[in-house]
Amino acid sequence: MAKVELGSPVTGTVWKVERATGDSVGEGDVILILESMKMEIPLESSADGVIVELRVKPGEAVEEEQILCVLET
Amino acid sequence: MCAGNVNAVPDVDASVVSELGFRRGESRKLGGDDAVERQHAKGRLTVRERIAAMTDPGSFREIGTLAGTGRYDEHNRLVSVTPAPYVAGLARIDGRAVAIGGEDFTVRGGTTFGSLRRKGGQGGFIEDLAHHYRVPLVNLIDGAGGSVLSIKRRGHSVFPGVHGFERSVGLLGTVPVVCAVLGTAAGGPAGRAILSHFSVMVRDNSQVFAAGPPVVKRSLGQEIDKNDLGGAAVAVDKAGTIHNAAVSEEDAFAQIRRFLSFMPDNVWQLPPRGDASDPVDRCDERLASIVPQRRTQAYNMHRLVKLVCDEGSTFELQPTYGKAVITLLARLGGRPVGIVANNPMVYGGAMDVHAARKQIHFMDLCDTFHIPIVFFVDVPGFMVGLRAEEAGTLREGMRAVFFAGQLSVPTITLVVRKCYGMAGMATCNKNDVDLKLAWPTAEWGSLPVEGGVAAAFRGDIMAAPDPAAREKEIEAEFRPYASPFRTAEAFAVEEIIDPRETRPVLCEFVALAEARLQSGLGKRSRSGVQP
Repeated sequence: MAKVELGSPVTGTVWKVERATGDSVGEGDVILILESMKMEIPLESSADGVIVELRVKPGEAVEEEQILCVLET
Repeated sequence: MCAGNVNAVPDVDASVVSELGFRRGESRKLGGDDAVERQHAKGRLTVRERIAAMTDPGSFREIGTLAGTGRYDEHNRLVSVTPAPYVAGLARIDGRAVAIGGEDFTVRGGTTFGSLRRKGGQGGFIEDLAHHYRVPLVNLIDGAGGSVLSIKRRGHSVFPGVHGFERSVGLLGTVPVVCAVLGTAAGGPAGRAILSHFSVMVRDNSQVFAAGPPVVKRSLGQEIDKNDLGGAAVAVDKAGTIHNAAVSEEDAFAQIRRFLSFMPDNVWQLPPRGDASDPVDRCDERLASIVPQRRTQAYNMHRLVKLVCDEGSTFELQPTYGKAVITLLARLGGRPVGIVANNPMVYGGAMDVHAARKQIHFMDLCDTFHIPIVFFVDVPGFMVGLRAEEAGTLREGMRAVFFAGQLSVPTITLVVRKCYGMAGMATCNKNDVDLKLAWPTAEWGSLPVEGGVAAAFRGDIMAAPDPAAREKEIEAEFRPYASPFRTAEAFAVEEIIDPRETRPVLCEFVALAEARLQSGLGKRSRSGVQP
């Protein structure tokens, strides 16, 4: 079991959280959607695993590279 | 590399042959067993192990094997030789000749040899080999550059540039130059690493900087660990000083082999064709739906490009730097191409200062080695905001436009979605017949309808009883004109293609480009002052 941290690709706000803690996700699955530069930017899972931590809620402002989600693979 | 036993050849003075054998043996010992053990303990290979791992088995033809410092007894008989801290020669990679060399860290930390004639580094003999034989140069960098000790040995200090970068600079226009930073590189070797077409360093086990922690401490009073100062997290991901990071030395060598597989031996040759087993007429259904209908929704451009290119052929340069643009070497129908693709996942693909710098280097690389460029365009413009302005985005972005306008290599511009403003101009070369193609999802202009309407009709909108509704109304009036089909009607874009037929179309035009590439071989001439 390894932990994988998913960082925000952009500075922006969290628009929608699509998955919840405890969910199993596959590589490429959308975990949440950010809004930045008037674009919806999906945060995709980089690996197959289980979400053990979701650190943000909709409407929250995030910085580039801020860790938004932790997976256990 | 000789089948017979040299010692058995008659008419050769046995003592001379045995001296040669002894001296070669001394050179193979590098800095001695203890020094080699210390190198291994750091998780690093010796320079001889590196050359062996990098090149085809048995292909290394060493040059300068005997250079070093001999120690003689009172009767002037040789006792031992400390080899020069640089190992160099010619070898083959995937059957093709290269000049290869690297500092030997086990001898005085790879500091410069101090002889009148240098084996390696800037101005070293290894660079002459690459120049004279017109073959790629592979630098395996693991040295700290000059040593203060050489002042005493020479009796004077050396003016900067006596062992200058002139040859290093010249090579950038003639043969592929690759550098792997495999230890701590400061000063000359660090500078040498930058003067390359492709550079790679080992994450967590190599560092590169203008000056290391002791100098930083003395100059600025800052205490900083060498990895925090010049590890890959800074030098690759943040600064783009080095192009790619590798997980190990073996991975760095594999990346270099991969890079060279796309390159010709020199600018007088065409880039080599590779595996062409992926059918050129393959149409991928997934391309039809990869761009979301809602135009504010981002999608995975990496995936899109991979569906089009020859299967397994893509090699990404600078994947962790300037991520708003993706630069890949790839093949279409077996022929090398350079791909420049905007990445809508990173600020909608807006070009920032890092992305512009990365795109400029990549276009320059492709243009130098006659590799056609395909632009996959989805760019809303330059990055905006105070931070972007402070970083000089506008100037760096216009440098990208300047370089795109000077390209002599064939280019194909494929607009996938947005192509707006000056950043859009950096994605095509309109000096020539080079094609502008588009998917039906494309949209373009000087600026998007939304922002454009708000700016041009400010008075009208503000005077309306419901300004928001008035803005929407004017937008609706203008939107039909933004259809890409209207532009095609005016023949202002050459063709709109079905996304599924992208691969066959691109493969055909890249194949057709070959005659033009052939007629334009050689060095490029450049003119104009860079903005």
